[in-house]
Amino acid sequence: MALRMWASSTANALRISCASKTPAFALSRCFSSGTQLISFPLPIIIFCKLMVLDGLKYASSHEWVKHEGSVATVGITDHAQDHLGEVVFVELPETGASVKQGGGFGVVESVKATSDVNSPISGEVIEVNSKLTQTPGLVNSSPYEEGWLIKVKPSSPSDLESLMDPQAYTKFCEEENAAH
Amino acid sequence: MKVPRSLQIWRLGIVNYSDALKLQEKLVSDRKIHKISDTLLSLQHPPTYTLGKRRTDHNLLISEAELKKLGAELHYTQRGGDITFHGPHQAILYPIISLRDIGLGARNYVEKLESTMIEIASLYGVKACPGQKGETGIWVGDRKIGAIGVRIQYGITSHGLAFNIDPDLNYFKHIVPCGIADKDVTSLRRETGNGIYEAVEKPAPHVTYSKEHQCHQVFHLF
Repeated sequence: MALRMWASSTANALRISCASKTPAFALSRCFSSGTQLISFPLPIIIFCKLMVLDGLKYASSHEWVKHEGSVATVGITDHAQDHLGEVVFVELPETGASVKQGGGFGVVESVKATSDVNSPISGEVIEVNSKLTQTPGLVNSSPYEEGWLIKVKPSSPSDLESLMDPQAYTKFCEEENAAH
Repeated sequence: MKVPRSLQIWRLGIVNYSDALKLQEKLVSDRKIHKISDTLLSLQHPPTYTLGKRRTDHNLLISEAELKKLGAELHYTQRGGDITFHGPHQAILYPIISLRDIGLGARNYVEKLESTMIEIASLYGVKACPGQKGETGIWVGDRKIGAIGVRIQYGITSHGLAFNIDPDLNYFKHIVPCGIADKDVTSLRRETGNGIYEAVEKPAPHVTYSKEHQCHQVFHLF
């Protein structure tokens, strides 16, 4: 409990968010057995040892979306992969399929449980991460980068407005964890 | 602040697999719109083989025709996990629970299901434990006594656990249970010898008692 509070206040003390690109930061990352300073190229907010990236938007079902012009990349968060356990199977839609904000588009299996994954935005699937067929564990090891799930051509820019920014998502995770 | 939660327990006896599936789908929909509270189904199935989402039917060692001759059914499901067998005297619990409401993830939920079965086994003097990494379920030595396969939609669970009180273990010979080739399947009966005489002689009421115990255990753990 003490470690968790310390980690949380460390996260608050080191919270970084900025509008423009900045060079590498030295950040403290908390582990149960001690702390470790690492350099990380992107500005990030730390919640305990689970990462929430700046520049992304988040759904309450723990998916993230990175909007870059006409393409949006979707995946599940570090919080989600941690709660799932080791992912052994990922089912993704076909390219060309439609996705709807809040609607399911795929399934991940971990610890003998299949969990549906929902899209934070509406649009058309233009690419799926085929690496996940052979290496589903990328969802665990690299949830924001190599473990991305689908790329979408967004149909409704206003979808992003109903999603959480990194600070709100961090608070959401804290409240969820406090509930049990 | 914790909101008080309730768990409704339905004790159903022997239920056909398709009927249980339809019931679970309805309950998940109702739970999603908060029409019902968390619900737990306690039941048994007639002889039934089931496959999970990954459709690992290479682990079924007989044809569907031969399976039917044994008096069993085969079902493809959307749950996690590999192939398994369900039959009379195997206690099944299907919790329909909103994990989202309690901030619980799949991993913790499955660990709680495992703990439930371990506690039940210990009531009968059987020391069971969770499997090695990737072998979700519960084991007595290298013999599997309890299996898990779960589906989570909208943060709500369906399917659940199957605990071998005294099913006919011969049915397991026709599959590679849970996709694990070199391990045996066991039951409370096999591990305790005559320890659960009543379960054999009076299957329905005693199994009901055991399941009720499990229900209370599950309730306690949640």
